[in-house]
Amino acid sequence: MNEQQTMLDDMTSALFAELGQTTPLAESWPKIDELGLPNLLVGVEAGGFGGSWQEALIVFRNAGFHALSAPLVEAILAAHVGSSLGFAGRGTIANCTDASSSDGRFTGTLRGVVAADGANFVVVPLADRGSMVVALDNTTRHERFSLSGEAHDVVSLIDARAVRSPVDMMALAAFARSAQIAGALDASLALSAGYVNERKQFGRMLAKFQAVQQNLATFACEAAAANCATMAAAQALDRGDAGFEVAAAKLRCNRAVGVGTAIAHQAHGAIGFTAEYSLHPFTRRLWAWRSEFGNDSHWADWLGGDVCARGADGFWSHLTHLTDRMIA
Amino acid sequence: MQTFIARSIAWPETATSIRERVRALIASHPRDPDPAKRANCWSVADPAFSASLGEAGFIGMTWPKAYGGHERSSLERYVVLEELLASGAPVGAHWIADRQTGGMLLRYGTEEAKRKWVPGMAQGKVFSCIGLSEPNAGSDLASVRTSARRKGNRWVLEGQKVWTTGAHFAHVMIALVRTTEGSERNDGLSQFVIAMDTPGVMVKPIIDLTGGHDFNEVFFDSVELEEHALVGVEGDGWRQATAELSLERSGPERYLSSTALFMELLRFVGPAPSNDIKQLVGRLTADMWTLRMMSATVAAKLAAGEDPALEATIVKDLGNSFEQAMPELVQATIDLDLSGDDPLARVLGHLLQVSPSFSLRGGTREILKGIIARGLGLR
Repeated sequence: MNEQQTMLDDMTSALFAELGQTTPLAESWPKIDELGLPNLLVGVEAGGFGGSWQEALIVFRNAGFHALSAPLVEAILAAHVGSSLGFAGRGTIANCTDASSSDGRFTGTLRGVVAADGANFVVVPLADRGSMVVALDNTTRHERFSLSGEAHDVVSLIDARAVRSPVDMMALAAFARSAQIAGALDASLALSAGYVNERKQFGRMLAKFQAVQQNLATFACEAAAANCATMAAAQALDRGDAGFEVAAAKLRCNRAVGVGTAIAHQAHGAIGFTAEYSLHPFTRRLWAWRSEFGNDSHWADWLGGDVCARGADGFWSHLTHLTDRMIA
Repeated sequence: MQTFIARSIAWPETATSIRERVRALIASHPRDPDPAKRANCWSVADPAFSASLGEAGFIGMTWPKAYGGHERSSLERYVVLEELLASGAPVGAHWIADRQTGGMLLRYGTEEAKRKWVPGMAQGKVFSCIGLSEPNAGSDLASVRTSARRKGNRWVLEGQKVWTTGAHFAHVMIALVRTTEGSERNDGLSQFVIAMDTPGVMVKPIIDLTGGHDFNEVFFDSVELEEHALVGVEGDGWRQATAELSLERSGPERYLSSTALFMELLRFVGPAPSNDIKQLVGRLTADMWTLRMMSATVAAKLAAGEDPALEATIVKDLGNSFEQAMPELVQATIDLDLSGDDPLARVLGHLLQVSPSFSLRGGTREILKGIIARGLGLR
């Protein structure tokens, strides 16, 4: 990390730790807004932070690590697309791709709109890998909740302003979820390692049982894989074309979720299953994020299709082409 | 908690030109007609290929020119290694000399030992093996009993090593032996460089379950060594040898041993297979790509002078699990006659049988997970 990145890391870590998983949006958002974080990816000339995708990774990962309930990740992605198209205020994204596409005015229903209440616009990923930005005025909102209790509303609109964008929000949001998964896995791993070092059974710490040690070691490998795959995707996004790297990252992170959450709960025993204990804000988010912006089969289809089409002779040369553009 | 800090990787500017040269060299070398020889290829010895790699400057790449090396960066070396492994080139003859022995001699060896062995290693003509395990010292390496005692200005070796890969073609061994009589565990151990044609050294093959011959028993019967055969500091062998292990664990060979199977799978299924096959290919690709990034991150940390021993352990554990899972997944998805001549069946059949060894060699899965658990603060 360079100096600016270290500052961003420290600042967001401290803020997200303070806001945590329960601060109401009305209270948390002014603090987030004050620091200019929603404009992380907006250009400096437009009054933004002018951040890179590697800097977005720092913020997204920290949001996952602290199970931040405020919809900052969504706002950053939405502003990246919406600000240059004349949309202002807090933006958000929708996690369903089944909206009918429209350029100009939109009448219809959007599903999976994250924290729609009070949001000014939403960026909707479309099945053709473009996206659509829709103003959230005069909406009828039906509350729905994700597995982790976050608002994922169904929103009906009549004649709302809508603009098509070529930006592949599906991929960008898949990257963001990968980064959040990487952070939340690290946090669950830390909780698990801490817990087994406190809890005694059969006269010794759980950490001293080899079976427990080996499980957590397996978990650490998965968390490491999620972090590295996501870093590679961030690096590729900063270079431009990142379809392959993002697909690989979301698929790899999704697979790490299964191993990681299972081991975290196993290590915690029954206490980790209670509402009171703070493991579930991580594991329930991890389970939710696995479905959002492409489940395993979605990205495996895409990636497998791409690789098979290139064939045995094109596979390795493609992989090396992807990295060799990342020169010193 | 993060045991593995991800990092953006700056690949060397020369990467593309190096790859082109390595690919051209591989293409110009006659290929073994048996596709199974391209699987787990760093166990396949072909001295002629090693010599041509040495001539092209692809062995000992980071070593000083004064000892026949090429003073290239460790990431440039990484590029060469992954090219060789991805194509299934027969690199087994010189692999251990290039990966471990040359660097170890350069770091700890006497000037005489360096002059005697290292230039030939860089030429791809001098091959080495490593004497660690003994009949009663496997994962518990600190139990070694082979001894070296001073006799005038010479050393006399007695004992036995086992599971020594490549001892039957190696010219030289670096062995970990006990130099202090009555010492226990990791105290009193030292390393020696031993010419394999020294009188009293006897190599006996161990045939593996496929009928293959990679490893051996090596016996030392009053083997007399000169003073300068001691590598490094007397009694410091444990520290020297375990530092070597973390280098051994970090390379791309720890996830690429089954790559030949993936390539044959792509050839077999063609450009537009059914959905279940596409999904399998997608999953394996995501795993392989991620492991490549992890392995390269370790190489970048090594290049920056850091000691990513824990990260290297994670890469090996995850890599071994991946290269072991692949044969089973391919077998479950593709209906194949394993007695047939199809290249996919040949490679699959070979890997199904040899892949159990991947999580044994270079540190068992259990040992690796113990090291990772220590990194997590559990031990």
